[in-house]
Amino acid sequence: MSPSDARATVASSPRDLRRGLPILVTGIILLALWAIAAVFADALPGPGETGQELWRMAGDGQLVSIFVRVTLFMGVCFSIAAVVGVLIGLVLSARPAADRGLSPYFAGLQGMPTGMWIPVAAILLGTTPLSLAAVVTIGAMPAIVLGTRNAVRNVPPLLTRAGRTLGADKRTMLRHVVFPAALPGITTGLELGWSIAFRCLVAGEIFSGALSGTGIGAVIQRSRETGELTEMMATIMIVLAFTMLVDRLVFARVQLRLRESRGLIDAGLPH
Amino acid sequence: MSAPVVLSDVAQAFSGRGEKRLAIDGVSITVDAGEFVAIVGPSGCGKSTILDLIAGHTRPKRGSVTVGGVTVAGPGPDRMLVFQEHALFPWLSVADNVGFGLKATGVDAAERDEVVQTWLAKVGLADAASLHPHELSGGMRQRAALARAFAMRPEVLLMDEPFSALDAPSRDRLHVELQELWSETGTTIVFVTHNVREAVALGDRVIVLSSGPGTVVGEVKVKLARPRVVESARVVATAQQVRGLLDEADQMGIRTPREQGDGYVSI
Repeated sequence: MSPSDARATVASSPRDLRRGLPILVTGIILLALWAIAAVFADALPGPGETGQELWRMAGDGQLVSIFVRVTLFMGVCFSIAAVVGVLIGLVLSARPAADRGLSPYFAGLQGMPTGMWIPVAAILLGTTPLSLAAVVTIGAMPAIVLGTRNAVRNVPPLLTRAGRTLGADKRTMLRHVVFPAALPGITTGLELGWSIAFRCLVAGEIFSGALSGTGIGAVIQRSRETGELTEMMATIMIVLAFTMLVDRLVFARVQLRLRESRGLIDAGLPH
Repeated sequence: MSAPVVLSDVAQAFSGRGEKRLAIDGVSITVDAGEFVAIVGPSGCGKSTILDLIAGHTRPKRGSVTVGGVTVAGPGPDRMLVFQEHALFPWLSVADNVGFGLKATGVDAAERDEVVQTWLAKVGLADAASLHPHELSGGMRQRAALARAFAMRPEVLLMDEPFSALDAPSRDRLHVELQELWSETGTTIVFVTHNVREAVALGDRVIVLSSGPGTVVGEVKVKLARPRVVESARVVATAQQVRGLLDEADQMGIRTPREQGDGYVSI
């Protein structure tokens, strides 16, 4: 195990505290600002009311249910999008003709709001979670495809030359030189794809209450009918907690690992 | 293991430029098996192009390049190229970097481990096996790159100004170590540099190139005892001789950039 591995896995508790403290402080400041805003805006429920609502939702299982269903839906859709997207990206970077033909369309699709496909999918495939899952999965792909393809294009030629000199064939080059060299860029593409997928999920929920089966749409529906925002704010808190957890536990960790193992964190080592 | 390298009447354009300018024109060089040849010349004289041709990264526009009597058709593990920048894979440990070529060419894990340990020890990096390239000093990185090349047991080792980015003490040590590794392995070495003293200290023979496009303007045999160091009086004296050849080329109207110029050749 290298020292950088040790740094990533063995974190002592004072260090954890030091790292966690700024996140906590920012959180408290945001809650305070929210509380002040709620005093001036009558319709906006404050942190206290929202907390009570969250407590109620935790009690009757709605909180866990939303959390689990969001995790499941996003997990399945994003995993498929990630695998297929990275593969297409690698193929594009190896086949210039395919790249010229397809990349402009991927760029166009990445730029346009994916949610526009939701009505199309809903009518073609029916208003089931399957139709939204299809849109979310395919919608996240262009960003991942282009992220991968651009990352591969930016691999330093010196490394590919070194790989070829050392007798690597095409497969070895792809797996052991190009892919690891492109990994930081691929990760950025994945993060972008993730956020596009999540936007698309909520767009589906706004379009029709039960499209993703996560329960978010039902909450939106109820707050639209009653004009009462407490449950909506509580749901926003649940989703925010979910995205923050994913970032802290997955993306931020992966980025840190990548930067540490590639020497992109200046630790005052010899140059 | 070693093989002779023969370039006959080779011409080649610089790669990847809009206007095709010739890098070298009519270059003929014969390197015997196991010989240590240094090629010296100003920057832009096509030194690196010659190594690329032997390594098989490019094909000549005219003429032929053979290694061990066989025309070069592409890169191969019999010819290792060591670059000015270490070109180590930043995500792999030093040991994995050294073992990369062995793994790529299908050497089994046990043998690979043994070869990696042997070469790490030879270049003095046994303690750094698990470190990543960014945790090494410049000299250590270039040692790792050397170990990675030698571990493949190449017939020909091609070196493209490998020490020019290093500090003087590291460079001096690596000069001596390279000479030791060469006499131990008997590999053919083609060493390209713009530093005349370095060329004289390392080569059995120094081939002098001029620029625009690169042609061979002469060669100097070096018969001094090894290991040689760049400061030794004899090396300096022979370097003057090589410098003379570069100056002569200059007076013949072949452009050799002078002091403070772009491609100045230091003695």
